[in-house]
Amino acid sequence: MTTTTIGQRSRSAARTVLTELDGTMVVLFLLMSAGVFAGVWRLFSGLGASTNLNNGYAWGLWIGFDFTMIAFSGAGFTMAFVGHVLGLKRFHSAMRIGVLTGLLGYVGVLVLLVLDLGRWDRFYSFIINWNIHSPLFEICFCVLLYSMVLVFENLPQLLAGIGKHKLAHAIHKAIMPIVILGVTLSSLHQSTLGTLYLAMPHRLHAFWYTPLLPVLFFASSIMVGLSVALLGYLIASKIRRMPVDGKVVKGLALGAGWTGLLYAAMKIGDVIASGEIAAILTNTRMANLWKAEMLLGVIIPIALMLIPQLRRNRKAVVTGASLFAVGVLFNRFNATLFAQQSPSGYNYTASSLEWVSTIGVLAGVALAWYLAVKYLPILQEKHGH
Amino acid sequence: MTSPLTRKDISRRDFLRLSAAAAGAAVFVGPASALPAFAESGAADEAAINALPATLFDVSRCIGCRSCEEACVATHNLNPTADDDGKLTANRYTYIAEVPLESRPRWVQKQCMHCLEPACVGACTVGALHVTPEGIITIDKDKCFGCRYCQYACPFSVPAYDWADPFGLIHKCDFCLERQRAGETVACVAACPTGALHFGTRAEMLKMAHNRIKANPRHYVDHVYGEFEVGGTRRLYISDVPMSMLGLRDLPHDSVPHKTHVVMSKTPVIAASVAGIATAIYGFLGRKNEKVAIEVEESQS
Repeated sequence: MTTTTIGQRSRSAARTVLTELDGTMVVLFLLMSAGVFAGVWRLFSGLGASTNLNNGYAWGLWIGFDFTMIAFSGAGFTMAFVGHVLGLKRFHSAMRIGVLTGLLGYVGVLVLLVLDLGRWDRFYSFIINWNIHSPLFEICFCVLLYSMVLVFENLPQLLAGIGKHKLAHAIHKAIMPIVILGVTLSSLHQSTLGTLYLAMPHRLHAFWYTPLLPVLFFASSIMVGLSVALLGYLIASKIRRMPVDGKVVKGLALGAGWTGLLYAAMKIGDVIASGEIAAILTNTRMANLWKAEMLLGVIIPIALMLIPQLRRNRKAVVTGASLFAVGVLFNRFNATLFAQQSPSGYNYTASSLEWVSTIGVLAGVALAWYLAVKYLPILQEKHGH
Repeated sequence: MTSPLTRKDISRRDFLRLSAAAAGAAVFVGPASALPAFAESGAADEAAINALPATLFDVSRCIGCRSCEEACVATHNLNPTADDDGKLTANRYTYIAEVPLESRPRWVQKQCMHCLEPACVGACTVGALHVTPEGIITIDKDKCFGCRYCQYACPFSVPAYDWADPFGLIHKCDFCLERQRAGETVACVAACPTGALHFGTRAEMLKMAHNRIKANPRHYVDHVYGEFEVGGTRRLYISDVPMSMLGLRDLPHDSVPHKTHVVMSKTPVIAASVAGIATAIYGFLGRKNEKVAIEVEESQS
């Protein structure tokens, strides 16, 4: 029965998209278009003409959002782990939201990375020229391979959406090795994003610099990945006017909360062990950044997720998941920008082009996500059966 | 300077952090065990290092004439404008920094330090930054794709991106590789009229540095900058005022690329562990859960 509805839906999908144009889509489309113009302008005018990046701040808004979006896209591997590796069927709707969010997030990351590369016309250089000692080489390679994994993990939904149920089912049956590969590639590059900063002991402030960085980045990607999947699941259920499974919400909230608690223990244990806690308790810019990041983005959401009386309230769960996202955004920007001790004589505030292109990419991701949720069989209880 | 690296107890701090790691992150077996104790640092071949080309800059003898800047520009066909003055850019591979001091101003030459353990080479995504057979760190311009990670990895903030070029990449001092291959001395050294700048093997330069300090201990500060900093450099400095007053950063003696290498070298182990553990979890738990779910579904329909 489900099958026929999907079939009819897909046949008229193109027409429906046009007739069901709503405000959200129009706004997202306009923002995305502005981003496309900004992006194309940047590609041919160069980084000096289009951005405020300089030799003291060679990485800015784009890299901050890249690393944030990679962490958010952790929704893909964490949910594939929950749904396939743990075999929890109840979570399959949320899992399909997770792998969709992951795929579109990584597409956004790739677009921003190309904008950021000086020789973007030579973006493939890392495929031919290997430096296996470089964290960024490993990240580039894993992101490339994992994006392909995500395409594969989303194929069953896409194929079912256009009525190819047999093919969708066949791919779904053979998905396990791909899922394991995806979890492995993700564990590698999510932690290597932390390793990346180990090369900057002379630049990254001591509150953030620690040999634990790879573990911290990995743990926070799980924490925020589950949170993003949870938010995505709730928003998608609203868009499709489908009932929300309370046990799924509870499970994801607990998963994010407990990972958050482990992350907080490591972050706080690290500064206690290094003796930096005394300096963190003083009133300096860096100390306040650290405390704000931890309180707003880690401690409060842990409480919202783990205290049963609070968690029972849907609004508290939504706030908690959103705050975990804010916390990871804050953390990645602190590491990339605010806690970087750049050589003197240099300043950076993102140019309007950097903002317009970044917002454009985010809008594009959101638009694609919205359309996919609306027109593909992602929230179905079952698919292809 | 408030840099975390100025503290002497860094290895002890790292040790404590590792203990915390072991206690707090036992769950993440892979990455945690990939962080080794700090002690072993790459003991490279001493004789080979001694024979590498090097320079010695004597701050007390520089008069700030900037002949070295001009020679560098001419040798590398650079086109510096006023914007390139007083910093390292795509059009200036070396410059003389003027340091106003009470006694008299001092001048310090800044350029790539040609580290013995180059962080930029370890960081470079595409292996464009590399060490030549002569032991010189240079850029393969056909490989560099302008990711600018090297600018963050370099403890001396040397690599400069060409912001004016729509298809820009990284530029820096190549220690006059072509001149050295032709048996000539380095351009900036050849141009120096006062003997502030010398060129030779690293052993010769260190010997000269220590001899000068020994011959005139009241004049010189007893510190050869670059002898040990970040594992040693090939551009060495001696001075009659403390290095920290000259903008030569107080850096620890341990290698920067070693910090990422210890983790990166564990990549295959981490990958195999994650894949193995995930497969085992699926085998023991996932398949059972799937079966239960199917049975529940069937009993409901």
